[in-house]
Amino acid sequence: MARGYKYFEAIEKHAGKLGIFTAIMVSLGGLAEITPLFVEAHSITASDGTKPYDALRLAGKDIYVREGCYTCHTQMIRSLRAETQRYGAYSIASESVYDRPHQWGSKRTGPDLARVGGKYSDEWQRLHLTDPRAVVAASNMPAYPWLAETKVDSDDIVARMRTLRRLGDPYTDADIAGAPAALEGKTEMDALVAYLQGLGVHAAPAEGTP
Amino acid sequence: MSTFWSMWVMFLVLLNAGITAFLFVWAQKVDIPVQEDGTTGHVWAHGVLREGVRRLPRIWVAASASFFIWGVGYLLLFPGFGGFKGLLGWTSHGQHALAVAVNDANIAETTARFAQLTPEQLAQDPEARHIGERLFVDNCAACHQRNAHGNPLLGAPNLVDADWTWGGDDASITQSILEGRQGIMPPLGDALGVDKVTDVANFVLSLSGAPHDAAKAAAGAPEFAVCAACHGPAGEGNPALGAPKLADSIWTWGGGLAAVEQRINDGTHGVMPAWKSRLGADDARVIIAWLRSQARDRIAQP
Repeated sequence: MARGYKYFEAIEKHAGKLGIFTAIMVSLGGLAEITPLFVEAHSITASDGTKPYDALRLAGKDIYVREGCYTCHTQMIRSLRAETQRYGAYSIASESVYDRPHQWGSKRTGPDLARVGGKYSDEWQRLHLTDPRAVVAASNMPAYPWLAETKVDSDDIVARMRTLRRLGDPYTDADIAGAPAALEGKTEMDALVAYLQGLGVHAAPAEGTP
Repeated sequence: MSTFWSMWVMFLVLLNAGITAFLFVWAQKVDIPVQEDGTTGHVWAHGVLREGVRRLPRIWVAASASFFIWGVGYLLLFPGFGGFKGLLGWTSHGQHALAVAVNDANIAETTARFAQLTPEQLAQDPEARHIGERLFVDNCAACHQRNAHGNPLLGAPNLVDADWTWGGDDASITQSILEGRQGIMPPLGDALGVDKVTDVANFVLSLSGAPHDAAKAAAGAPEFAVCAACHGPAGEGNPALGAPKLADSIWTWGGGLAAVEQRINDGTHGVMPAWKSRLGADDARVIIAWLRSQARDRIAQP
């Protein structure tokens, strides 16, 4: 038998062994790249001014996710000059600690929204969500007129705040107790506008700016 | 990255590189038994397909060897080998800072040239107009529209007519851009009642000679006193308060009886956000230059 050939034979002629060794080699890359980041991600703490979403903005964030805004809009400004010049300072991981799920990405149909807070007025946001073409003639964004007709369910938001607190978000009892009052009479449109107006505006007042 | 995870990555990288490098060298030396017909004896499809034995092409060997060298070189120069930062000290934020510095240097000459020009010269400078238009479209057009004709749904004024709600000199416009403006008119519907709102609206329309009911306008004239506090006795407006001129055909929130009635009933709250966190005074100056050029073109070619 020729030199070294028996080792080749042992693997090449046994599909099971070939599969196992292939799987081991392929997974080395993942173990090196994914595992450390996965574990270290949990040690990232909130950056200065990054606070858990108040009740109204939390409701808005859930509507943002429900309506699939993330399919066209990202919330991650990359450290590329063209992006920082257009959208503002690049995003850092510690800004997203209260985002579940995070809204990162680089695939954009619409602009990045990581720092859109305060860029337009509340009324602009409302009008734009109701009928995007009323403010941006060439926009291809869908209209979301029903948001203004649906009230926010405060029981649901209180439950979410309790869940998030269990996951480690620092909500106080007063925050949670005050949620129903803060959401009284608010529509989903109010909540989404408050959420958008808070994006990238750290330590901003609870009411939308400006 | 903690020491543990740094060691973890280094170990896996060395393990992977070690195994593949060993296979790369060793596999080429293995003698594969060859049958008399020059094949390995492996057959498929009842002997139609047989496996031949040939040496690896040199170009394949050379390419694979160069990938090993490239990989080692990369991990030496750039971050990637655990916590080792690489000999070049490359970081993504350093790369970004460099790109910004290069760009700043590229436009420094243009910026310096703009600073030497008067506002009138700037409005005629093709490069300034081009940059001004880009800045306007990126930042201002969402409310004021790409052609700067404004949007009555938001009370965003037309910026290329001769009328300036908050003052049309460069300093006032710069302040409007950098610090923002809030145009607030209180709702008067409840105080006046339905009939008087219609009367006052007709009077407001009469100030500019717009179609109106003369009798109702006359009846509304005394009630206009409350409006005159901001808009002036003849509806001439007050730039200090951002109270628009009513005695012309320019309507921030839309013209006609219904629109004017609605403004009296509901009031207005027009918001121009402050742009100083996004734009500098130099940017504002170039945007104003573009607006002036557009206004002049519009007046020259009505």
